[in-house]
Amino acid sequence: MSENSTVKEAYVELKKVNKHFKDFHATDNVDISIPKGRLVALLGPSGSGKTTILRMIAGLEHPDSGEIWIDGKKVNDIPGSERGIGFVFQSYALFRYMTVYDNIAFGLRIKKVPEKEIKEKVTELLKLISCEGLEKRYPSQLSGGQRQRVAFARALAPNPNILLLDEPFAAIDAKVRLELRTWLREMITKLKITSIFVTHDQDEAIEVADEIIVTNQGRVEQAGTPRELYSHPKTPFVAQFIGNSLPVKNYDDFRFFEKYEDEVTAIIRPEFVNVYKKGEKVQFLSSAEEATVEDIIFRGSSFEIKVRLHGNLISAYRSIIEPAVEVGEKVDVFIYRMFLIKNEEISIISNQSLKQESVVI
Amino acid sequence: MDIRKENRILKWVLIIISFVFLAVFLILPLIYIIVTAFRDGLSGYIKGITDEYALKATGLTIKATIIAVLVNTIFGLAAAWCITKYSFKGKKILSTFIDLPVTVSPIIAGLIYVLTFGRQGALYKYLDPLGIKIIFAVPGIVLATVFVTFPFISRELIPILTAQGTDEEEAAALMGAGTFTIFRKVTLPHVKWALLYGVVLCTARAMGEFGAVSVLSGHLRGKTNTLPLYIELLYQGYDFTGAFAASSILVIMAIIVLVLRLILEHKGKKELDVSRR
Ligand SMILES: Nc1ncnc2c1ncn2[C@@H]1O[C@H](COP(=O)(O)OP(=O)(O)O)[C@@H](O)[C@H]1O
Ligand SMILES: [Mg+2]
Repeated sequence: MSENSTVKEAYVELKKVNKHFKDFHATDNVDISIPKGRLVALLGPSGSGKTTILRMIAGLEHPDSGEIWIDGKKVNDIPGSERGIGFVFQSYALFRYMTVYDNIAFGLRIKKVPEKEIKEKVTELLKLISCEGLEKRYPSQLSGGQRQRVAFARALAPNPNILLLDEPFAAIDAKVRLELRTWLREMITKLKITSIFVTHDQDEAIEVADEIIVTNQGRVEQAGTPRELYSHPKTPFVAQFIGNSLPVKNYDDFRFFEKYEDEVTAIIRPEFVNVYKKGEKVQFLSSAEEATVEDIIFRGSSFEIKVRLHGNLISAYRSIIEPAVEVGEKVDVFIYRMFLIKNEEISIISNQSLKQESVVI
Repeated sequence: MDIRKENRILKWVLIIISFVFLAVFLILPLIYIIVTAFRDGLSGYIKGITDEYALKATGLTIKATIIAVLVNTIFGLAAAWCITKYSFKGKKILSTFIDLPVTVSPIIAGLIYVLTFGRQGALYKYLDPLGIKIIFAVPGIVLATVFVTFPFISRELIPILTAQGTDEEEAAALMGAGTFTIFRKVTLPHVKWALLYGVVLCTARAMGEFGAVSVLSGHLRGKTNTLPLYIELLYQGYDFTGAFAASSILVIMAIIVLVLRLILEHKGKKELDVSRR
């Protein structure tokens, strides 16, 4: 029990931090707490203040109010270079007039590490990022993925306690991005370094991070594991932002869903929906509704089926091993549940027939 | 009609126009300078350029040019740096005022200093007791030269520093590098060619400045005459050989600068290619 609480102790902490750019409230009363060794994603739409938070932790911006703590020390007045931080910039910001070797060695040379040790360290890092043999190249002579990894190595060279990465994969093409995600996660897990990375891509956050902090309009909406955010969104924003969420106004038109109050919106996600081919034997067939398939998108391991129901284009997934459906086909659709958003609160409403059937059984 | 043929004709017409224009307005006068300079033979030319006052004027021109380049390099770096790397109040104003010297007529630039430092000027009563003479003295000439070449270096640097952004500097600062190290290792390699190019432009302009210097100089032969002023003086005195001999010094200096400029442009472009690819 006590061990658990020490593990949870915050290593990086923001307390009621505010930051304005002129009249613009870029960071609005932000509280963040990150335990040591965790890999955390700051996830939010573009302009939601993610970079600003990262830059304040690094000491590149100064909060108007609030406190920033690292490893039990208040660091508001400590310069960024003394906070033990490695920073990977969105643009990588590699020194373009220095070779890969000199880029990685830069931080160590500033620290006046003997040239022999520098050589060992750089060689080790080059091996880690699988860029051996590239030490004499200039950044302009590297591919996007190589640049990203060199930036990563340069940030790691002075042995920082915290690694901050701003949209580390944004500038890389899709195929390499997937590889790098896995690579980065493995690297960071291996090095056990407390890491915070910024992204606007929820798939990236869910795949890479232990924990996600969702930002919106300068505020923190919710922090939690990917699973928590998925199944228990605490704010309407999170409910809509995470997952493939479809807002639905006329939710009470659907069978076995009742009207609650006026002015509420429901959210339907593909995971809440099952699509059945006519004649398939299924449990809830009696309470399903008929709809027409409008679009089918191949998603690799599954199909995303889009059906028109009560005026809404609802998505559902169907495994590729199940019998195929076609565009224009009439199918049966069963919706298990919806998120209901009323007055900034979220509740889950379930299909009424589920209760009835359980009573019957 | 064949469109290609038409294009060929147009091409040659344009080329011929350009060359004729160049010949009439540039080559011909240059030849004329040289011919006139040598009108009284080689000995006349040598006499012209080794004249005591000609040498003094050349010396003063070089001195004013060097000081102007030094001052404007320091100022240009400082201004370009703060305009591109920091945000502060009055940045727009600073950036606009830097350009003022190239938009204002040099005569006015000269008059501004006469009004500021001259006998009726606001600062005269403070400077005079200290024995500092600015108007009709070498400091005035240097001042005028600095003024007219003010924006040349900062204007070369600002676009490059803007394009580069502040990321690399921030990265270096986060790793603990001090301001001077950051400047030397990160910023300077980036602006090196632009800086040298700015220096060349500044030098060319400083050497040839006439208007502002003319107002401030007082035309004291051997004391406050720069080369352009000296040339005018000789010319007004119908000493054409002397005037054109002195002119040839200025022309040679200009050609040196032009060649330097070509070399720098070439090298700078090559290095830029490497950094962009
Ligand atoms: N230096 C700055 N000056 C003025 N506004 C800024 C500055 N930095 C960020 N902002 C503004 O703050 C908001 C949040 O920016 P940022 O933290 O970069 O968002 P994100 O990284 O989530 O896209 C944006 O609207 C941006 O325009
Ligand atoms: Mg950002």
